[in-house]
Amino acid sequence: MLGKGGKRKFDEHEDGLEGKVVSPTDGPSKVSYTLQRQTIFNISLMKLYNHRPLTEPSLQKTVLINNMLRRIQEELKQEGSLRPMFVTASQPADPLSDNFREAQPAFSHLASQPLLPTDFVSTMPLESCLTPASLLEDDTFCTSPTVQHDGPTKPPPPALQLVKDSFSSALDEIEELCPAPTSAEAVAAETAADDSKAHPSESNIHKTEGLPESRTAESKLMDSLPGNFEITASTGFLTDLTLDDILFADIDTSMYDFDPCTSATGAASKMAPVSADELLKTLAPYSSQPVTPNQPFKMDLTELDHIMEVLVGS
Amino acid sequence: FTGAGGGNDIQWCFSQVKGAVDDDVAEADIISTVEFNHSGELLATGDKGGRVVIFQQEQENKTQSHSRGEYNVYSTFQSHEPEFDYLKSLEIEEKINKIRWLPQKNAAQFLLSTNDKTIKLWKISERDKRPEGYNLKEEDGRYRDPTTVTTLRVPVFRPMDLMVEASPRRIFANAHTYHINSISINSDYETYLSADDLRINLWHLEITDRSFNIVDIKPANMEELTEVITAAEFHPNSCSTFVYSSSKGTIRLCDMRASALCDRHSKLFEEPEDPSNRSFFSEIISSISDVKFSHSGRYMMTRDYLSVKIWDLNMENRPVETYQVHEYLRSKLCSLYENDCIFDKFECCWNGLDRQVHIVMTGSYNNFFRMFDRNTKRDITLEASRENNKPRTVLKPRKVCASGKRKKDEISVDSLDFNKKILHTAWHPKENIIAVATTNNLYIFQDKMN
Repeated sequence: MLGKGGKRKFDEHEDGLEGKVVSPTDGPSKVSYTLQRQTIFNISLMKLYNHRPLTEPSLQKTVLINNMLRRIQEELKQEGSLRPMFVTASQPADPLSDNFREAQPAFSHLASQPLLPTDFVSTMPLESCLTPASLLEDDTFCTSPTVQHDGPTKPPPPALQLVKDSFSSALDEIEELCPAPTSAEAVAAETAADDSKAHPSESNIHKTEGLPESRTAESKLMDSLPGNFEITASTGFLTDLTLDDILFADIDTSMYDFDPCTSATGAASKMAPVSADELLKTLAPYSSQPVTPNQPFKMDLTELDHIMEVLVGS
Repeated sequence: FTGAGGGNDIQWCFSQVKGAVDDDVAEADIISTVEFNHSGELLATGDKGGRVVIFQQEQENKTQSHSRGEYNVYSTFQSHEPEFDYLKSLEIEEKINKIRWLPQKNAAQFLLSTNDKTIKLWKISERDKRPEGYNLKEEDGRYRDPTTVTTLRVPVFRPMDLMVEASPRRIFANAHTYHINSISINSDYETYLSADDLRINLWHLEITDRSFNIVDIKPANMEELTEVITAAEFHPNSCSTFVYSSSKGTIRLCDMRASALCDRHSKLFEEPEDPSNRSFFSEIISSISDVKFSHSGRYMMTRDYLSVKIWDLNMENRPVETYQVHEYLRSKLCSLYENDCIFDKFECCWNGLDRQVHIVMTGSYNNFFRMFDRNTKRDITLEASRENNKPRTVLKPRKVCASGKRKKDEISVDSLDFNKKILHTAWHPKENIIAVATTNNLYIFQDKMN
């Protein structure tokens, strides 16, 4: 006797990015959750910087988008704090290579911990952070200093390895390269520095090249934003962003490079329009095609359409 | 719906539609606010071009007992002009954000209209007589040659064609750094408040050169800004009480007697988040777009993106009633975020002073608007469209099909037109007449009278 089976129905309203938020606990759905989050992040950035300049942008809208970006960033930081465990292990030390393989499954185990989008407080039990003992050799455990913006303080997993020396020297390098910051930038820089100390990763070395460029970009950005609002929230955010974890390693910072302000009127003429292609570049790490950052990203028109469909869920 | 006769639902019929017929909408014609005056005889609209149009209801014709008076244009004037802020190099929009009527004290009517930065008090008065028979002037105004004057006469008033004049009596300017979203006249009829994203000011109607700041939520460091004021209203009876709502879904009730600066609320109304409905967009959809006290002042109603909530002023921890306006949009929030619709600010309104009727109304997309009967807990969706414009024909209820098989006459979520939004609705203070604004048209519906 055959068992009664319920016919599965394809719910066409829940394809792609729409539908309920996918919990990152389910394996393949974690990818779509991450993709959704990344898409929302990119859309939010585009909204902040592509506004028509004639009238003042709505403060309410700006604040809500900023909050969205901050929330996503917080989440990424939480996740990013898990990654260095396997990232640092990939540094060229042979004894660690075995441990690298061990660390990887440990990481995916961690990745399956529930991370609800608005669950800011880390509920990660520390004992679940399995660490090969050799990684702890040169360890300097640190506690994360209170982050300057709204996010609550989160205790990092003990496996967090601080490559403090190389990082702080990198930071010094940056400060030498940058011009004297304005007060807002100084605040942002402090925030960024705090974050970096809490979440080092190999990407920081990677980032030091990108950093001076984006710092200058930031000062240009501050000039080009409509002077009204005193909101440096968005620019402060941008600084945090560039010192973030490896998820952003592949972002081509030329997207955020704006031409210096030449006239007093509005900012749109100075905004580099973020086209769909540039948007897709940031998503490149998530596509099946291996893409080297900073190389021109060529794609079929049909593939482009397909990805855009997935993004807007229509 | 419980009608005045008891037990009968209100049946809404099309009455009139005002505005251009063609689909090509001129941006200046986009209606941005709708408001009945205290008697309901006048209906004012403001638009994006800074104009105010006032309609007046015809006196009821005894012979035409089956319909109430029609609304016809009474006065049109340019309330606000676009301005340029030279300091910030930005335009200040002339769009009228809100209109509020003052109660009538004499023959003239007064209203407050505001754009993003400036509030104006307008006097609308009628002139139907003019003086004639001057000694030194001809009728056309030319001076007469004094030598031809042989007799003296007293000028008299003679009737003339009705002329309605609007003149700005007060201009309340330079008090708001951010965009004004609300104005509300106090029950003392002498003062009013104006609220922008971060501050609320108290004005006296007679004094234009200063105002008192009563709420200021601007943080010392703007980078710490995470919440803005979205709406504010005075209590209908208590002249020292007002509420303001925020982008985080909270409402604060403040008492001006407590301190000069009401930064500490007397009550904080907030509903805890439903964990099963959490998403990236939870905060954005919780942002309150409108707050309105009930006529008694015992309740207040708030509108957020997906729902209407009724709060009892005595209970802060949750609303007493919640009505879902368009829950089927919950699964579309990402697209609605991308096309900015998620930031649309829908208003809501209570029914008029009919004690038998307890209905709240709000707008939605596709030119749909919704009504919720608080007594029967039934709701209805109606459409404002020129296709339904046969007077005295009852409007057909609409239904949106959220998922699954679409029934006949239902509309699927994916075919909704998100450009056709009803943000502004108003209910006549005394009768069952409603004004519903689509993008550039104003619809008037009334209940079917027997």
